[in-house]
Amino acid sequence: MGLFQKLALFLGIRKKEVNVLVIGLNNSGKSTVINHFKNDEDKASDIVPTVGFSIERFQNQNLAFTAFDMSGHGKYRDLWEHYYKDCHGIIFVVDSSDRLRLVVVKDELDILLQHPDVCNRKIPVLFFANKMDCKDALSSVKIAAGLGMDKIMDKPWHISASNALTGEGLNEGVEWLTQQIREYIVNNKF
Amino acid sequence: MSSFKKDKKEEEDGSCLFTGIEKTTVLQECRTFNETPVNPKKCIRIMTSILYLLNQGEQLSSTEATEAFFAMTKLFQSQDVILRRMVYLGIKELSGVADDVIIVTSSLTKDMTGKEDLYRAAAIRALCSITDATMLQAIERYMKQAIVDRNSAVSSAALVSSLHMTKMANDVVKRYVNEAQEAINSDNIMVQYHALGVLYHIRKTDKLAVNKLVAKLTKSSLRSPYAACMLIRMAAKLLEEEENGSDLPFFDFIESCLRHKSEVVIYEAAHAIVNLKCTTNSELAHAISCLQSFCNSPKATLRFAAVRTLNQVAISHLAAVKLCNMDLENLITDSNRSIATLAITTLLKTGSESSVDRLMKQIATFVSEISDEFKVVVVQAIRALSLKFPRKHSVLMTFLSMMLRDEGGLEYKASIADTIITIIEDNPDAKEIGLAHLCEFIEDCEHTSLAVRILHLLGKEGPRTKQPSKYIRFIYNRVILENPTVRAAAISAMAQFGATCPDLLENILVLLARCQMDSDDEVRDRATYYSNILSYLDPSLYNSYIIESPQVSIPSLERSLKEYCDGCTDEPFDLKSVPIAVVPTNEEVTRAQQKSEGMIMSTGPTKKVKVSREENYAQKLTLIPGIAQAGSLFRSSEVVELTESETEYVVRCIKHTFSRCIVLQFDCLNTLSDQLLENVRVQLEPSEGYKILKEIPCEKLPYNETGTTYIVLQYPENFFASVATFGAVLKFIVKDCDPDTGLPDTDEGYDDEYILEDLEINLGDQIQRVSKVNWQASWEELSENCVEMEETYSLASMSTLEEAVKNIIQFLGLQPAERSDKIPEGKTTHTLLLAGIFRGGADILVRAKLALADGVTMQLTVRSTHPDVAELVTASVG
Ligand SMILES: Nc1nc2c(ncn2[C@@H]2O[C@H](COP(=O)(O)OP(=O)(O)OP(=O)(O)O)[C@@H](O)[C@H]2O)c(=O)[nH]1
Ligand SMILES: [Mg+2]
Repeated sequence: MGLFQKLALFLGIRKKEVNVLVIGLNNSGKSTVINHFKNDEDKASDIVPTVGFSIERFQNQNLAFTAFDMSGHGKYRDLWEHYYKDCHGIIFVVDSSDRLRLVVVKDELDILLQHPDVCNRKIPVLFFANKMDCKDALSSVKIAAGLGMDKIMDKPWHISASNALTGEGLNEGVEWLTQQIREYIVNNKF
Repeated sequence: MSSFKKDKKEEEDGSCLFTGIEKTTVLQECRTFNETPVNPKKCIRIMTSILYLLNQGEQLSSTEATEAFFAMTKLFQSQDVILRRMVYLGIKELSGVADDVIIVTSSLTKDMTGKEDLYRAAAIRALCSITDATMLQAIERYMKQAIVDRNSAVSSAALVSSLHMTKMANDVVKRYVNEAQEAINSDNIMVQYHALGVLYHIRKTDKLAVNKLVAKLTKSSLRSPYAACMLIRMAAKLLEEEENGSDLPFFDFIESCLRHKSEVVIYEAAHAIVNLKCTTNSELAHAISCLQSFCNSPKATLRFAAVRTLNQVAISHLAAVKLCNMDLENLITDSNRSIATLAITTLLKTGSESSVDRLMKQIATFVSEISDEFKVVVVQAIRALSLKFPRKHSVLMTFLSMMLRDEGGLEYKASIADTIITIIEDNPDAKEIGLAHLCEFIEDCEHTSLAVRILHLLGKEGPRTKQPSKYIRFIYNRVILENPTVRAAAISAMAQFGATCPDLLENILVLLARCQMDSDDEVRDRATYYSNILSYLDPSLYNSYIIESPQVSIPSLERSLKEYCDGCTDEPFDLKSVPIAVVPTNEEVTRAQQKSEGMIMSTGPTKKVKVSREENYAQKLTLIPGIAQAGSLFRSSEVVELTESETEYVVRCIKHTFSRCIVLQFDCLNTLSDQLLENVRVQLEPSEGYKILKEIPCEKLPYNETGTTYIVLQYPENFFASVATFGAVLKFIVKDCDPDTGLPDTDEGYDDEYILEDLEINLGDQIQRVSKVNWQASWEELSENCVEMEETYSLASMSTLEEAVKNIIQFLGLQPAERSDKIPEGKTTHTLLLAGIFRGGADILVRAKLALADGVTMQLTVRSTHPDVAELVTASVG
């Protein structure tokens, strides 16, 4: 066993599986985002609205991700909280062309951040300002402002503009998340 | 009585792995499911414990179930095949209790369409258990694909799940018909069977379509023996429904199955043929000989099936079954006691009076070894025997009382008591002995419900025996020794003696006085109530408040009282406003009995309070505007067909009588797929005196749906005009439409009409049956302040007394009392006693003296509290 692997084992990283929760309103592109990261042979050819949730797995930089792809439909949003407790990171997908529902997004985000299972943890949150290719898409800066993200002090967060259909912007975001989770794990001695 | 007695040893061994498991601990352990990474081994063990607990009948609250359920959803992370399949089972078990189970929908659809074959079938079953009607649409595409999947397990799972889902969304499943059609051609025997099940279910309300399906499939030969069995059942059902005898091709098909290579199919065919109503002797012979050869099979299941079927039809096909007597004799000593029991009881049914003693002795040798279910079969055979050979009642009664003293469950004991009661009722000679056996039995009876029934019977029959006083001791013993329910029943029984036997009254009053100190409210109340009434020494009071039970329908009474309490009125509650209870007709009673006599059929848990047909209708009718003023529903008639069967439109009428008006409910069915009917109504030509108060049309009547239109008529003031006949025409607007979509081609429709058969309102529609325990007492009571009419008729068209009795009862709609509808054999004169109430509340009592001589002569005496009613009855018979 090489030194690096030993070190990794000691840090509890190599074998570590990490759970991320993927949330956001319906039709924002969550399932499409996840689909992008999957191996070619596992990729779904057509994506239908999620009912409840679906568990997907993918790899990034030696870390095995288990993603809980939640449904964003109104009547299922109450169920997100069942999965807050044991996730290591959150991916929050926003449809940047859906200006009308940006306020709804803000409501949901606030509820998330105030939830007892989330508010006291330094859990990293990655935002995708998705559908950047759409004509009337808001920029990531505008979205960050619109959601009042500057007020999130106690958690690392990051926002990437993305296009889940082509994959643009996705890798950048997930690399950030991977980095954060590594740190999080080391600090919390998982 | 659905489960056979379990092998005790097996029961003890089976549970040791999980004994001592507790619900709370297991539920706590469910937290393990939240750990990442998932530990499959540990989780499988916990899942098993949960499933074990649930299967032991442990109940989870909805919060507990939901918590466990959501913890379980985390296990979808694991790729462990066994764990995943445990999760499916868990989902199915909890789907009924936990909230938000819909959350696993996407996870399950992913598994059911995924690559892992081991997941797919089980995922489909789990998916269908969590899906509600609103989500069905979303999974429709996957279900259709799964039905035609190459993998037979997947296909079967999808078909069976579809069948389950028809309960909540029949319409959606109907759309799977093409896929099911494709699956029926499958080479796999299970898939073919399940596909046939779905196809039949989709069509079963449409007789024509079922006919076509059966006709088509009987021509092709089905590979699957199970499917063939099902097809036989379908064909047999169609034959049964066919009015006049056998539809040849279907019968030929069933008969051809007697030569099938699979034993299951041969048995099914034989079973179907012997159970058909109209079969000729030659048709029967072949089927019976198949069963006969099964009786000699080395396979116990076949012997069992054959002898059980022979047992069931022994009475109806006596001669044919008798031919198997030799084979049945051989089975008496079969090492399988179930087979032996069935063989003996069959022989009892077919045998002669002389063989009874020998066979009873034979049974006695092993009756203690067989399970309750089979003991019940024996009891039923004894019941049949005692009706057939009344002279054997003492042997049989002794045997029954011996069985009564043995160990046994409620159902078994109840069937013995029932049989004794039947024998008592049927055979006056057996009455005293039977009552004595029952008295002895309640001395040591652990079943409260049974003790109560027997006490009631003693109260009813005891006072009319030669020496009523000897029953008092048995009854009073119950007051001293039993629980409150039985004590209360005993008090009521004693009161019956007090009311009927003047020389016992004084003693009864003393006993009742003692009971007024009882610790239980109900017992004290009853004792006080009866003491009070008995102390008036007024026979007519006894009659209405002790001997006869209240005639109102209990559910209606409850509803009326609730309404009365909710409303704020100073008027006293009027008991007359409560509808009276409907007495089941003799046919209904026998029909119910026949159903339960087909032995070893699980009847499922017995339904609690049976709501009567009237109650059901009453609730529906309240939807008609203005009907509330009409008061309470008095009587609903049988269904009357106003069209021939299999016509374009089918119209059935139910007549609901209120005290001053009658509501005609017309249920109309449109059988034309290219027509949409609108504004459907019935046009009546009311005869003199009747007035139409309201007509409520049915707005829309699409293909294959039943719609209802109502007419409210006011009864004529004059009672004599109330018996009448009306001409009737169905009127509607037709819109032609596309048979596939059911959408009309144009907005324009045209008027059309359809002549219906004449509608009659007769005397029976206006009378409600009332059952009287002591008819004679009521008759005398009415002699003072009422009208009596008498008339003599000659009923030339009747050739027997039985026929006359049946027709009179049906025509007048009255209830026979004191078993006067049964005519002792060989008699040429008979007196029929009837009772009822006319709408509005007038009592009617009728005495019909019949004599047989060249037709039947009848002297009819009617007493009623309303003069016109009495006259109406005599007038309408003429
Ligand atoms: N133009 C554009 N369309 C996108 C993008 N991402 C997703 N979509 C489309 O948006 C639609 C919704 O995508 P999903 O991935 O199903 O959305 P979701 O968030 O999973 O929705 P729910 O499961 O219902 O909560 C699909 O038709 C995608 O093809 C994007 O970046 N650009
Ligand atoms: Mg989705």
